[in-house]
Amino acid sequence: MSATRDKRRIAVTGLGMVTPVGNSAAETWAALQAGKSGGAEIAGFDASGFSTHIAAEVKEFDPEKQVPDAGRYRFASRAQSFALAAAAEALRDAGIQPTREDSDRWGLSVGAGMISVGYEDLCRVESHAWNDRALAPDGMLSDSFQVNPKRIASWQSNAGLGFLTRQFGIAGYATSVHTACASGGQAIGTALKAMRRGNCDRMLAGGFDSMINPVGISGFCLLGALSTDNETPTRASRPFDATRNGFLLGEGAGFLVLEDWDLAVDRGAKIYAEFGGDGNSLSCYRITDSPPDGDGPIQAIEQALRDAGVDRSAVDYVNAHGTSTQMNDASECAALHGVFRDRIDEVRVSSSKSCMGHLIAAAGAVEAGVCCLAIRDSIAPVNANYGTPDPNCEVNLVIGDPAELPIRAALSNSLGFGGSNSSLVFLNPEFSAS
Amino acid sequence: MSVAESTIVVTGSGLVCGAGETVAGVCDQLLSGDSSVRPYESWPSENWPVKFGAEVTTDNRTLVPERKLHKTISKSDLFGIYAAERAIDGSGWKSWRDGLDESEQPAFNDQTGIIAGSGGGSFHSNYDYLPLIESAEGELQRFGAELSEQVTPMWLLKNLPNNVLCHVGIRAQFKGTNACITNHCASGPLAVGEGVAAIRNGEASRIVAVAHDAPFEPENLLYYYQLGLATDGIPRPFDRSRSGTALGEGAAAVALETEQSAASRGAEVLGKILGFACVGEATGVFELDEEGSGVNRAITMALADADLSPDGIDLIVAHGNGTPASDKTEALGIREAFGSSEIPPVTAFKWAFGHMIAASGMADLALTLELLKRGEVPAVPNFEAPDPEFADFPIATRSGSHQIKTALLICRGFGGVNTALIVGLPTQ
Repeated sequence: MSATRDKRRIAVTGLGMVTPVGNSAAETWAALQAGKSGGAEIAGFDASGFSTHIAAEVKEFDPEKQVPDAGRYRFASRAQSFALAAAAEALRDAGIQPTREDSDRWGLSVGAGMISVGYEDLCRVESHAWNDRALAPDGMLSDSFQVNPKRIASWQSNAGLGFLTRQFGIAGYATSVHTACASGGQAIGTALKAMRRGNCDRMLAGGFDSMINPVGISGFCLLGALSTDNETPTRASRPFDATRNGFLLGEGAGFLVLEDWDLAVDRGAKIYAEFGGDGNSLSCYRITDSPPDGDGPIQAIEQALRDAGVDRSAVDYVNAHGTSTQMNDASECAALHGVFRDRIDEVRVSSSKSCMGHLIAAAGAVEAGVCCLAIRDSIAPVNANYGTPDPNCEVNLVIGDPAELPIRAALSNSLGFGGSNSSLVFLNPEFSAS
Repeated sequence: MSVAESTIVVTGSGLVCGAGETVAGVCDQLLSGDSSVRPYESWPSENWPVKFGAEVTTDNRTLVPERKLHKTISKSDLFGIYAAERAIDGSGWKSWRDGLDESEQPAFNDQTGIIAGSGGGSFHSNYDYLPLIESAEGELQRFGAELSEQVTPMWLLKNLPNNVLCHVGIRAQFKGTNACITNHCASGPLAVGEGVAAIRNGEASRIVAVAHDAPFEPENLLYYYQLGLATDGIPRPFDRSRSGTALGEGAAAVALETEQSAASRGAEVLGKILGFACVGEATGVFELDEEGSGVNRAITMALADADLSPDGIDLIVAHGNGTPASDKTEALGIREAFGSSEIPPVTAFKWAFGHMIAASGMADLALTLELLKRGEVPAVPNFEAPDPEFADFPIATRSGSHQIKTALLICRGFGGVNTALIVGLPTQ
């Protein structure tokens, strides 16, 4: 089998985002710099009975306008529609699309959310096939239980992959991953590896998710993972603040167009950043808890730096996982201290979740895009809602106004339930050229 | 020789499916021609259009003795943990690590990774909410308010698609690079391909690649039937009368490392991974390219990766799910890839233990390595009449001894994803 020898350089040439703070990358980036929160009372369904009834929903998303060939995807889930829209934006932004001639040199790598059957579909099962507190499968055979096969398609674990490859004509390496909250980061890291070993010349990579529905939010409410600050939704997500009390559930999609560096340069593409490295580890601690000493994330970060061929001293900005839960934020800070040691005060840190909430399987993908924009504009976006210092989270946060600074290397962390850790390193093209 | 150029070998394997819970035992059954696709008893099938399936019958406590763990994971996870731990046992990694100096053990753990292929979830896991929907009488406000009284706090964690990764990691303390691939039937082969690449790329020295799924459940079976993919009986791969697949369930795993690493430990090598490719057909979720172009391209790329010509392949283990469209386009794609070369004997296993979806490709791999070692090729025992559209396709119709050094394994999944994996004997 073929081997990876000298590392192939990979450029980020296109970005697309659908997030709770904007339906495009530009809108999202502006909101993150302004520290604008996407948190509000849940509008999509009656959440008044749940212990948490706030979330960061995508607003004014119009599939008819934003999803290409929307008629084909009428049965796509909300998350899959976000994916189609964000991917289309990323390809438009890159100014390139797969053609009949090169479709097999294009690949796709996505982080997809958990298969989520809607509440209405569970009600359909309950009304047809639930008797005396037990499943009565024969009820599923009645005519009124049957659904359109296109809906069945949208429930498959790789349905998003199927829609995206078809819509954009991507016929090369195609993969779909899920490691809970690390999914988006892992998908993008997987794409880097596939390109480095020569599977593809260009890839569309990203993540999409929406769990702001009765079943999705139930899982998090049961775990007690969400902030219950129902009266102050815009302040509910306050990563690294001592008073933080859980995350704000978000939704959305983020996509990057990755290209072989030389191909991108040859066609005169605008290059946001060089995608330098990927690191992955398992914490092997507990399914719910993060290791207090940062063991696990430390290995992922160090692996990503090694992969990018840069020293820790080159990192100027960290887009933290920063969920706003007590344990996760403290664990991540311990990891940052473990990696950056005496340099810790020189590294600016912020969590995009302070504004847009936690996009779960999409989070790492959107945040990778944020790192690219931060490098392009020499701006570290803010960590919103920060007020009370926590001795367990002593890192150099960007508070109040965005920080203007040249960013040589940016690190994006995604730490998932179950202990999967993904770290990505993006490099300033001027820095990596030197 | 650098790691990047080294040969990757398999030093352990594990399998559980409807036909049993050992690789050797399931292999015996394959060669005997007995199928474990049988009338199911999990729910009354009298009125159901499909009355066959291949459920795992092995006791849960045989699979994972710790009963406490059973409450916090899904059925699919149970299969996955079992198969992964059998592969790890077979590799001897844990006892090797435990014999190392204590100062060397953390590095060993950091250099041992896990890549899982997961079905991604199930319909029945959501049924934990049905009592609540009933008592809330369809009112969302009550559903939310009574949630914590009726549903376990661990519901989300019990149903994480990446649970096998996490639990196998915690139990073995393997902390290296990892991934959880949720790409329908391609999940298992992709776990192997990514595992091989991770070792070559220096991200890990060892990888356990595992794939698990439990698609056999009423709602899923109904949808497969409605899509025209499920038959009421034992699937008949490539036969003219084929009419669909049968759902199975289970898991399989392999332990991967470099040839040098295995040799330095004196570990038994079960086989070599020679080549891999994955391509999409860009056709949508269910639709297939009519000429099997994805199968053709995946094979061609995997042959190039293995530096082999079609003549170098001694056996094809086809996806052969028994559906009319998939088997036909698979046969056409294979023929196109082989061009003027003779197509070696073709066999397929889904008649024996059903279609394990995300786990199927990994099960095929574990069994193929055992068959190479034994020098045996199992027939498709219920193959009776060739399909006129690919009449000369060389289906193995009689099990028997063959000199086989290499095998090509095909996997095809929803989303138009096709993989080709080439494996060889340890001496190859």
